Amino acid sequence: MKIPFSWLKEHVALTATPMQIADDLVRLGHEVEAVEMPRAAVVGVRVGLIASKQPHPDADKLSLLKVDVGDAEALDIVCGASNMDEGDKIPVATLGTVLPNGLKIKKGKIRGETSCGMCCSETELGLAEDSAGLLILPADAPVGAEVGDYLELEEAVFDLSITPNRGDCMNVRGIARDLAADAGLPLNDLDLHAVALDASLADAVVTVSAEQDCPVYMARRIQGITVADSPAWMQAKLIQAGQRPVNGVVDVLNTIMLDLGQPMHAFDADTLSGSITVSSAQGGEPFSALDGRELTLNAGDLLVSDNASVIALAGIMGSEPTGVRETTTNIVLESAFFRPARISETRRVYAMVSEASMRFERGVDPAMVAVAMQRATNMIIDLFGGSASAVTVCGDAGNVNADASGASRKVNASVSRIETRLGIEIPVAVDDVLVRMGFALQRNGDALTVSVPSFRHDVSIPEDISEEYARVIGFDKIPELLPPLATTAPARQDRSVHDAVGAGFLQVINYAFISASEQRLFVPQDDLDIALENPISDAMSVMRRSVWPGLLNTARYNMNRQQSGVSLVEQGRVYLKNQKAENSHDEINVIAWLMSGDVEQDDWFGNARQADFFDLKGAVNAWLTLRGLTGRFIADDSMQGLQAGQSAKILVGRAEAGRIGRVDGDIASSLDIDTPVFVAEINLDALTTGKQAKFVPLPEFPGVERDLVFLFERTVSSEAILNAVKSAAGKMLTDARIFDRYDGKGVPDGFVSLGIRFALQDGKRTLTQEDSDTASQAIIAAMDKRFGAMLRA
Amino acid sequence: MSEIDSLKAQLESLQADALNAFAAAENLNALQQLRVQYLGKKGALTEVLKGVGKLPPADRPVIGQHVNATKSALAAGLDACETTLAEKEKIARIEAERIDVSLPGRTKGKGALHPVQNGLDEISTIFSQMGFVVAEGPEIEDEFHNFDALNIPPEHPARAMHDTFFVKEMGNGEKSEPMLLRTHTSPVQIRTMKRFLAEGGEPPLAVVAPGRVYRCDYDVTHSPMFHQVEVFKVDRDVSMAHLKGVLKHFLSTYFEKDVAIRLRPHYFPFTEPSAEVDIGCVFCAGKGCRICKGSGWIEVLGSGMIHPNVLQSVGIDSEEFSGFAFGLGVERLVMLKQGIPDLRLFFENDVRFLSRMGVNK
Repeated sequence: MKIPFSWLKEHVALTATPMQIADDLVRLGHEVEAVEMPRAAVVGVRVGLIASKQPHPDADKLSLLKVDVGDAEALDIVCGASNMDEGDKIPVATLGTVLPNGLKIKKGKIRGETSCGMCCSETELGLAEDSAGLLILPADAPVGAEVGDYLELEEAVFDLSITPNRGDCMNVRGIARDLAADAGLPLNDLDLHAVALDASLADAVVTVSAEQDCPVYMARRIQGITVADSPAWMQAKLIQAGQRPVNGVVDVLNTIMLDLGQPMHAFDADTLSGSITVSSAQGGEPFSALDGRELTLNAGDLLVSDNASVIALAGIMGSEPTGVRETTTNIVLESAFFRPARISETRRVYAMVSEASMRFERGVDPAMVAVAMQRATNMIIDLFGGSASAVTVCGDAGNVNADASGASRKVNASVSRIETRLGIEIPVAVDDVLVRMGFALQRNGDALTVSVPSFRHDVSIPEDISEEYARVIGFDKIPELLPPLATTAPARQDRSVHDAVGAGFLQVINYAFISASEQRLFVPQDDLDIALENPISDAMSVMRRSVWPGLLNTARYNMNRQQSGVSLVEQGRVYLKNQKAENSHDEINVIAWLMSGDVEQDDWFGNARQADFFDLKGAVNAWLTLRGLTGRFIADDSMQGLQAGQSAKILVGRAEAGRIGRVDGDIASSLDIDTPVFVAEINLDALTTGKQAKFVPLPEFPGVERDLVFLFERTVSSEAILNAVKSAAGKMLTDARIFDRYDGKGVPDGFVSLGIRFALQDGKRTLTQEDSDTASQAIIAAMDKRFGAMLRA
Repeated sequence: MSEIDSLKAQLESLQADALNAFAAAENLNALQQLRVQYLGKKGALTEVLKGVGKLPPADRPVIGQHVNATKSALAAGLDACETTLAEKEKIARIEAERIDVSLPGRTKGKGALHPVQNGLDEISTIFSQMGFVVAEGPEIEDEFHNFDALNIPPEHPARAMHDTFFVKEMGNGEKSEPMLLRTHTSPVQIRTMKRFLAEGGEPPLAVVAPGRVYRCDYDVTHSPMFHQVEVFKVDRDVSMAHLKGVLKHFLSTYFEKDVAIRLRPHYFPFTEPSAEVDIGCVFCAGKGCRICKGSGWIEVLGSGMIHPNVLQSVGIDSEEFSGFAFGLGVERLVMLKQGIPDLRLFFENDVRFLSRMGVNK
């Protein structure tokens, strides 16, 4: 909300500078988004008289002006506008001036002609969004005067962001009240004078059936007005406050709303048929809103109707046909209090926002309903003529915010408890500030009773009083104290992603929502997807069930930017409906890896190498080992989106904990990735905690190591081979692994040469040649028996 | 010349020849050969000793001393030359093995934590060290935990300001409770307090709850997903001074300097009083710059004393207990600390950005 400084001063005689006021506002809890200084912004722009005007010798559209700005010599100015003549007075930005748009005026040559200033339009002075040509000033403007002074531009405009609890401050008087109370200055009385009633006029007939939602409703007829534009001073005020002038009657009502916070509405009386009813909608009523929308209303909406149709969605918007136009002569004015929750709900349902609804849903001052009616009547009659009926009043403003006995709301609090919870003592003198803000306070020892003014809907519990004290005293006066520290032992930090990063993977974080088609890359169609009702876009419409699509996108993004390879890791949740329990879902914590392209670069010690399955498998294994776990990789050709023959389930213990494999080539090429892509995913929630390593004595006697090379059929898995080695070699075996693999020249088709290295050790003695011979024979026999493998070396 | 004199002369000349030869040896191998040549079983000295037997017995001890002296001199000469040569050879070897240490080392990839992860780690660690317990909660939430329990009833204007993502009906047929993506980490406050009480706990309770949150807002300064950390403490006599103390300690630790803090009265439905928290601009030390728009202050988080309705919604007696709570945006703090200008960089995942920004010092 924009509040001009001069408007504030109508309510309180502030003496502080605009910047001091801005600081005070912040301290009191009103966020100042900006302080505009329209007058200071045009310092250096002076009233100039065009002494002569000649065409530029070198440019058709430019003129050479001599402009008198009150100095000894007239200024030479080259000007591109065409709406000025000799003898006109115009604003001239003199040398050194910086205009609101940031333009600094310097002496220069334009097409060879010297220019010592600039003649300005309204736009250039920051006074209008667009303008045609120079601003021509009235003939009596004093030559040489600062234009800002001459035009009486506003000294400062405060752009405030009012918090939703402070509906009472969505108007100039509310802000003025806070500032006055804080500064110890009186708030000026409202200048009100009685309305001369026209007894010949029939009162407006109003019935309120929805008393809960509309505790007070006032209406009055004004007959015989001539709707003209509002006067210039009013239009200027509205524009400065950020409102667009509409017509005289609407402008008056808007001015009062901005001034006092009471939104009002005017109906064209000649478009109404019969009496006015304020009621709850049955549902299904049609409504032609002022903004052009045709609505069908829901049961419970609060309506203002005449005998024929709905004339307003109460507190939010009037109907199009009943609005006031230039041709209107008779009106019905409405001023009311509508229940905030009702307005808020209806407004949300129709996604309608109006200045009125913003105020009603935060709560207006019920005491202002009658005041605004009186003021509006007087202003309209003063400006546009006509005569007024008496006010029809339904309900009682005093009932809003009052207790059962009709007295204003009271809050009982304990001073010492407020002090304890703020951590500061409350000086008694501060009570005066609250009193100036409209509260009535009664202290009885530690007990404090606060009567809350009608406009403060936000104050109802002791904590609210505590906030009032805190902001008046100043949050900066509260000391900084460390509370007594709890002695809870911190839980161990999850190191999942850190360990992967230590192994050379770059952590990425992707959005948790992906497109429906990405979801189908790795997860079959079923009923378990969780989709968003209101996604940002189709590309972000389903909660991911795999991290892989996000990683693939990251890989594509980077490989399109000249990265020859990526090694990525991401930890986060995947989301799916729970099949067993109705209307519940699971969020599973997973870690996922992706490798593609160069895993080693061309370097001084070697050549580039592309990632393959075993790079990623090694990384996943190492990661599992760090947490005391062992993974088993079981070939599985049935996994969606992964290439058969290069994919596996990952078992940890008996649980299937994850998947690993090469992304289907079609998927990769659809993403323009032309190197093989390998991905792995592990369900962190499925992992058991690894066992804490327990001490085992280190062997005292040296072991022996032997190599055996066999020719195997290709189809035999190395896991089966090593298992067979382990069972054949006996208890002394400490390690067995494939140390060589060869299927080149000399190896028949369909076979592969595998070198097996095994180690033996005994805790009680040094092993002999005989021991390793025995084990070798057992292994050779087992390989022959199990796999028909021939010993090569 | 007597026999003895002749022997003495032989010894002297042998010693001189040997020492010259030692000094001239080019390497340890050559020196070893010389050792054999002079001191070996069939060496030159042994040859000379053969002449001793011909001497009269009385002369023998005299020449014996001479022989020993020569032997010692040769041994010392050998050792000295050996040391010199060994040193020389070592130097030569070192020269030959010299490498260019400025060549890059062999590395396995360029791993780095995401800067948001770094931020989350740092923030959680600071609070863990202050005795706050880490808690988590679901990202797909119900309206009760995200709004109602936090004193944001359905018609509340603040509810509309949350730009909530709603989840499509999850039940089959029967109209079920609407679910949403949590708009803040504050529901973890509710869930943690409820669980704590259900397990028979009684305040004090101090919790830090990091996590992802979602807002249906996507432009230069808004991301539909971002990270928050919710921090709260409930105990007897928790005061706003404690809130300020914890904020000051946290922000100064996080920014690694003594930062000034400023609390401004604000409004949040779940706290009363509520305050927005500014820090003295970390870029200009409060003098006023482009980042702080000349004010010298930068808004970093929202805070306040937990609203009695919130405590009551989980069954904590607000007469007996009070608490503070605040929620901070992780991306915002990381941006301020590392000078990152654009929120969108975090989720673009450009490896050039990540590998540079993710350095965990």
